Order: sequence, then C-alpha cells, then structure tokens
Amino acid sequence: MIKLSKVSKTYRTDKVETLALKDVDLHVKKGEFVAMMGPSGCGKSTLLNLIGLLDRPGQGSVEVEGIPITRYRDKQVANLRNSTFGFIFQSFHLIPDLRVIDNVELPLLYRKMAAGERRRLAREALEKVGLGARMDHYPNQLSGGQQQRVAIARAIVGQPQVLLADEPTGNLDSKMGEEVMDILLKLNEEGTTVVMVTHDEREARRTNRIVRVFDGQLVA
Amino acid sequence: MFRNYLLTAWKVFMRRKLFTAINLLCIVLTLVVLMVIASLLETAFRPSGVEGKSERFLQVFMVRMESPGGNRVSNTPLGYKLIEKYLKPMPGVERVAAVTLPSSVSVYQGPNVSELKLRRADADYWKVLDFTLLAGRLPTAADDAAGRMIAVLNASSARRLFPGAPKAALGQRIDVGGQVFEVVGVVEDAMHLNAYADIWAPISTFASSDYRKELTGMFTALVLADSAADLPRIRDEVARISRSVVHDDPKAWKTMRFWADGKLDLFSRILTNSGETPDSGAGKVLATIAVAMLLFMLLPALNLVNLNTGRILERRSEIGVRKAFGATSRQLAVQFVVENVLLCLAGGLIALAATAGVLAWLESAGLIPYLRVDLNLAVFGWGMLIATVFGLLSGVLPAWKMSRLDPVHALKGAV
Repeated sequence: MIKLSKVSKTYRTDKVETLALKDVDLHVKKGEFVAMMGPSGCGKSTLLNLIGLLDRPGQGSVEVEGIPITRYRDKQVANLRNSTFGFIFQSFHLIPDLRVIDNVELPLLYRKMAAGERRRLAREALEKVGLGARMDHYPNQLSGGQQQRVAIARAIVGQPQVLLADEPTGNLDSKMGEEVMDILLKLNEEGTTVVMVTHDEREARRTNRIVRVFDGQLVA
Repeated sequence: MFRNYLLTAWKVFMRRKLFTAINLLCIVLTLVVLMVIASLLETAFRPSGVEGKSERFLQVFMVRMESPGGNRVSNTPLGYKLIEKYLKPMPGVERVAAVTLPSSVSVYQGPNVSELKLRRADADYWKVLDFTLLAGRLPTAADDAAGRMIAVLNASSARRLFPGAPKAALGQRIDVGGQVFEVVGVVEDAMHLNAYADIWAPISTFASSDYRKELTGMFTALVLADSAADLPRIRDEVARISRSVVHDDPKAWKTMRFWADGKLDLFSRILTNSGETPDSGAGKVLATIAVAMLLFMLLPALNLVNLNTGRILERRSEIGVRKAFGATSRQLAVQFVVENVLLCLAGGLIALAATAGVLAWLESAGLIPYLRVDLNLAVFGWGMLIATVFGLLSGVLPAWKMSRLDPVHALKGAV
C-alpha cells in the first residue's frame, strides 16, 4: 500500500540542522492498523507526515500503491491526498467559522461532486461517529471528544483507503479516548488501513503492529 | 466550490467584525475619491445635458501663431473674422457656431451690482447646444442680424436679479457694463465647458464692430457635424484651412495653426500645450490619469496587503487542514482572492452610496458653479471595476504567499 525506502528528513533553520529521520524503511500493508510509538521528538510525526504526503523526504522514496510520488507536482500530490488519505490530528484542527456539517464536507469540496451528494455523505459520516444530531453546531459548542469525532467524520467522509491519526486521543480523557479508539478499530475492521501515532501502550496493543521510532530510526 | 468560497468569506467577515470594518473603511475612502473623480470626468467628457451632441461636434479654441524666426509663439483664442471667413463656409458640416469665452461683467439692477459671466453668441450656438429653456425664447439669427439688445439669463442669475419664477425676469431690463439689455429668455443652469455662463447676448451687441475684423480675439468655434463619422474628415479640413490662413501682419506672425478637437482632445491640448501637431496629447493625458489613479490605489492597497497577510496568517491552521484534505495552492489562493474581491465589492457598493452623498454635497455647496453630476451606470461600472482591481491588487500577493505555506508548518501554526 505505502512503501518508504531509505527515507531521510532533515529540518534546517538558519543556525541549526536537525536530522528527524534517517534511512527509514517502512511498508504499510493494505488493511493494517499500525501504531507508531516513541519518545517525543523521535520523528514519529515526521514519519506520519511523509506517509500522508504532507511533507517530502530529503532522501529516499515514498511509493503509494507502487507508484513513486517523488516527482509529483503540487496538484497531483493534492489529488492523491484527497483520494487516498484521511487525517486526524491531536488538536482536531476543525475550522471554527464553519458548522460541523461544513467542516465534515471539506474534503469533498476538492472533488467534482454535487452539493447534495456532498451533504448526504457528510451526514452519513457524522451519523457513523454518533453525531448526527450535532450537524448545525459550531466546533466550540462541542466537547473535546465530540470535536475529535467530527474530525474522524471529516477524515472518513471521502472514504479514504488510509487513515493517518497523529495522537488522536492525546487531548482527550480516557473515556473519550476509548470511544475514539473504538471508532478507529471499527473502521479498520471495515477495511480502512490505519496508521496511528500514540504514546499510549494500551492503545498500541489493540493494533496489528507496533512500529517503534527512536532518534529518527525504526528500532523494532 | 464558488458557493463555498462565498460561505467561507461571509463567515470570516462576520467573525472578525473589527477587521472587516477597518478594511471596508480603507476601501470605501479610496473608492469614494476615485469615483467622485470618475463622475466628474464622466460629466465633463461624455455627451450629456446641454452638451448632449458633443459626440458630433468639435471645437476650435486656440490659434497658435509663430513668428518668422520661430523665436516667438503666441496661443490665443480665435477672432470672429477667422470663424466667419474660414470656418463658417466649410462644406460638409451641419453648422458652425461662434461664441465668446465667458467674461466678467457688472450687472446693475437698481441699487444692486452683481458680477456675472457673460458670453456673446450667434444664433447657431443655441442650436449646437441643448439648453433647457425655462421661460421666454432663445435669440435667433434675426436678433443677431438686427443687433437687438436682448439677453438670456440662467436660472440662478434670473432668481438672483428677479426673485420669483423664471418668467418674472422676462421683459425686464438689465444694465450690463453700461449696455441695457431686455431679458427674453431664462435657461437652466449649466456648467459644461461651452455652456458655462450666467448671461448670454447676441454677438452683434458688441459696442463696436471691430471684432469682425480680427483673426484673433476671444471667440471659440463649435463645429457641428451631420454625424460622428464625419469628425475625422472635419478635423483634416480644419487643419488644411489653418495652413491657408495668413495673418494680417505676416511679418510678425508667419504661421497660424488651429485644430478641431473633441472635448477630451481640447482639454489635453490645453494641458499639454500641444498646439503644434494634430496630436492633442490625449493618449498621454489618459495614461497619466490611469497611472495616477493606480498610484492612488497603491498606497491603501499596500496597507490592505498588510492587513490581509495578517488576517490570512491567523488562518494558518485552516490552510494546513485544507491542504491536508486535498486543496491545491491555487485553490487556496483563489479562495483568499475571492474573499478579498468580495470585500472590495461590498466596499464598492458602500462607496457608491457615499459617492452619491459627496456629489450631492458638491452640487449644493457650490464649489463648482452649476455642477450637475449624476451617478450613472457608466460610473457604477467604473466603480465596480475599480473595486475589483483594488481587490485583486491588495489580495493576490498575500493570497499567493500564504497559499504556498507548507501544510506541516501551517498545521503547527508556523510560517
């Protein structure tokens, strides 16, 4: 599904050069639920960003469905992100000006799709995460757990093949975190590939595979 | 997609009301100034009101005379002889009118003395311009031929001299610089270039007939064509005539040149002092006005660029999310530009209302005598065009810059 070969990534500022990832090889298979663990600053999020094509590697290659995307242009990468990936962020990143339903519709705006169809799919996605009654609310009218469920609805509304979740339960209490985890597991059972960054060993054990990152390299 | 742009724009405007208000104020102030200028230019140069036929008349306003050595040049208005002898006989024109430039005269009315602007015009003048007659009649060729001491007043002067309805002035006698005239007509006030005056009298009412012998003097000629298509031919014909005119004192003045110009050309020729060539310099004047307007827009536009960059920067996270879910840099840039153009168009609509207010004030304040200026469709169109250009000018740069933010950094809230 997604293959990273000899991937390195260095961040440069005026004075400092930080090696975030070094010669990483990773293959995420279709239908897997992979947990990525490691201490803060070890490169987990960088790895997730590379998998989700939010960032480009300094060296090495990234392949999606066997196609290297190294030379893809902005528009091609955007289209691939839109059709293949769904993102869930630790701090939700919902757009405060938009209602819940409009937030969920967002990925579909960048597809050729009628407004009615977009609205139908967004409703279905919200119902799937149990928020069918909150469509017309604004994000700040919801609890943290509900906001994360809206973010999950937004991530799945376009029926992506891969869900990428960066510490999706990091800002939630354990009960809400459990609920979010249940939803991710259910989506995985339905066939969606999930890659999740987490600090929580208990959550990681519920996945198929744990990838450990340390100092920019995979250690297990 | 466009509906979504509109929706997002509306939400953003409503959430940041203070920012929206400051932005709108900046836009409205700039556009009001530009639209007032555009309205005045429109009124001055488009065929309208008393100069409704100006699309098919030309003016001969100045004679440029050069001494044999070329060391002396004189630009002076036309004399009646030049109009009567050389321009009036011109073939292929509907009519040629002669009128003096407005001159200040003292009008005595009982114990009161008023300073008014007087023009002396022939009968053709009243047929070239479309004055609105409020009472009485306009002078005729017979009046001119007979040298009748009659006068036409504009409404303001009639009201000032003879309070009451315009017809109250009819039949009254006024002393204009020692000559007594009977008022035979009252016309609506007009401020157009060739119409501006308070009082008109036939040419033949000059105290002396010396004016008939002068090639230069204080006249201007209005040449009315049968159709606008004839104007280029008439221009050429007038240029040809000018080459054939010989000054009464050829030793002092070797050449006499004059041109038939439209209103814009005339204005440009005076402004650029282009009396030597057929080119009036209108192209340069228009380009200068366009550049000046653009520069005038540039300063507030730069200010808006700053404000917009700040506003968009606040939405880094949104940029990151939209990119993560498939938005291209181009789509985001278009979104931000649409937001800005919408804001500017809203500002344009407010500015239109404000401009109408400013113009109404200008009319009533009397800063420009007899000004009648309307916000017509053309000015509305110009206003909206200016607003759009302004929106693009101030929106494209920040939109382009911010849309290129790397999604990872945008999501982290960094630039």
